Amino acid sequence: MAKWIALIGLVLVINTVNAQEQLPEVQVIEPYIEMRTGPAIGYPIFYVAEKGEWISILKRRTSWFKVRTQKDKEGWVSVDELKLTVNSAGEPVEIEDGSFSSYQQRDFELGASGGSFEGVPSLSVYGAWVVTENIAAEVSYSQALGDFSENRFGIISVTHTTFPEWRLSPYFRLGLGQIKTTPRANLVQSGEETRTNDLMVGGIGLRYYLARNFVVKFEYQNLLALTERDENEELEEWKLGFAIFF
Amino acid sequence: METRIRDIFLGAILISASNLAFAQEEQQTGVQNVIEPDLQRRDINESNIDTENFEIGVFAGIISIEDFSSSSIVGARLTYHVNEDFFVEASYGQATAGETSFEILSGGAPFLTEEEREYSYYDLSLGYALNGEVFLTRDWVFNSATYFTLGAGSTEFGGDSRFTVSVGAGYRLLLTDYFAVHVGLKDHIFNSEIIGEEKATHNIEYGIGATFFF
Repeated sequence: MAKWIALIGLVLVINTVNAQEQLPEVQVIEPYIEMRTGPAIGYPIFYVAEKGEWISILKRRTSWFKVRTQKDKEGWVSVDELKLTVNSAGEPVEIEDGSFSSYQQRDFELGASGGSFEGVPSLSVYGAWVVTENIAAEVSYSQALGDFSENRFGIISVTHTTFPEWRLSPYFRLGLGQIKTTPRANLVQSGEETRTNDLMVGGIGLRYYLARNFVVKFEYQNLLALTERDENEELEEWKLGFAIFF
Repeated sequence: METRIRDIFLGAILISASNLAFAQEEQQTGVQNVIEPDLQRRDINESNIDTENFEIGVFAGIISIEDFSSSSIVGARLTYHVNEDFFVEASYGQATAGETSFEILSGGAPFLTEEEREYSYYDLSLGYALNGEVFLTRDWVFNSATYFTLGAGSTEFGGDSRFTVSVGAGYRLLLTDYFAVHVGLKDHIFNSEIIGEEKATHNIEYGIGATFFF
């Protein structure tokens, strides 16, 4: 409970700090700019800011901006309409809406994927730090749930995007990790044990810049589990996922 | 005759009144011209806009775990709003399962140990929201959304993790721009052979929640 009060307090403090700062402003140069009651196209237009009027930008949600007019009217303006305004120098307002060039300059990626690991469903999450336009360092965690066992594996890897200037580009992966295999509860009674093995991972995939700050990825991974038995275990995974970048 | 006199008087009053107003206006514009507005405008760029595409929150409710009675459930969720319609959501919940009717009636040995009765799940869902508005009174209006989710994840119950498909629907009422309350219903479907033959179990959860946009 105390945590919640602290959180609410923090939110209030942040808000007051924001309120003290001067808000960015833009000037309407079209005959008018439409303001809606909510951040979606279906919300009704309840007010229009006139040509020549300066409007303050309060916040952004997806492609919508909450603005305040000089007459203290607050409403939501779409990014397309906001691009028709000008700044203090009279230049058109430029807002990055996750373009391909911003994709090429990204620093971080967060993503999730689903697929098939040795024929059973698998789910993964990952985070990547984009070091150069070609090379990224990645950490991923996956869970694959089968009828006989459950596999959880974490992988640290390096990826190489071959053609970063293309929207659709192949990429390659090399990594190391660890896999934990837990047999189903009813198999534990028959003597199966939980085991942990090291992994060597190679992968090949395709990444496609979809729109705004979204990327779609399709990948094949070959995982070699280094077992204590005579033969190492070769595992395969196919997966399809998406990522957002910052 | 009387009407004409009245009209003349009214006309005279109107003309003088409008002259007066005009004079005031002239004075005002004169004053405005004297004081030149010297405003430092702050220009807009990516970094000085407060972006609120993430939503984080907690929820509490009841989950009916198939064959194992109903229990209270608590959890947390993190949502990323892709655009005004679509969002992706990760959620986690945990509950403690009750006993089967058989366990209660027979009074015999329990099917599961205390540890195995711990029920927890996570899922990653894709959601679609239908945006709307709610009019409590004529001037007291809140934005809202009815949403549907479809996801996949894992449920840990009875000593095992199971691949789980989840289907949900919910309603979100935004009390402010950044604070929302939710009611939701979600079905978690997974295969289980805990009480015998393997079957698809439906574990229906409903509850309320609160979230912050950041």
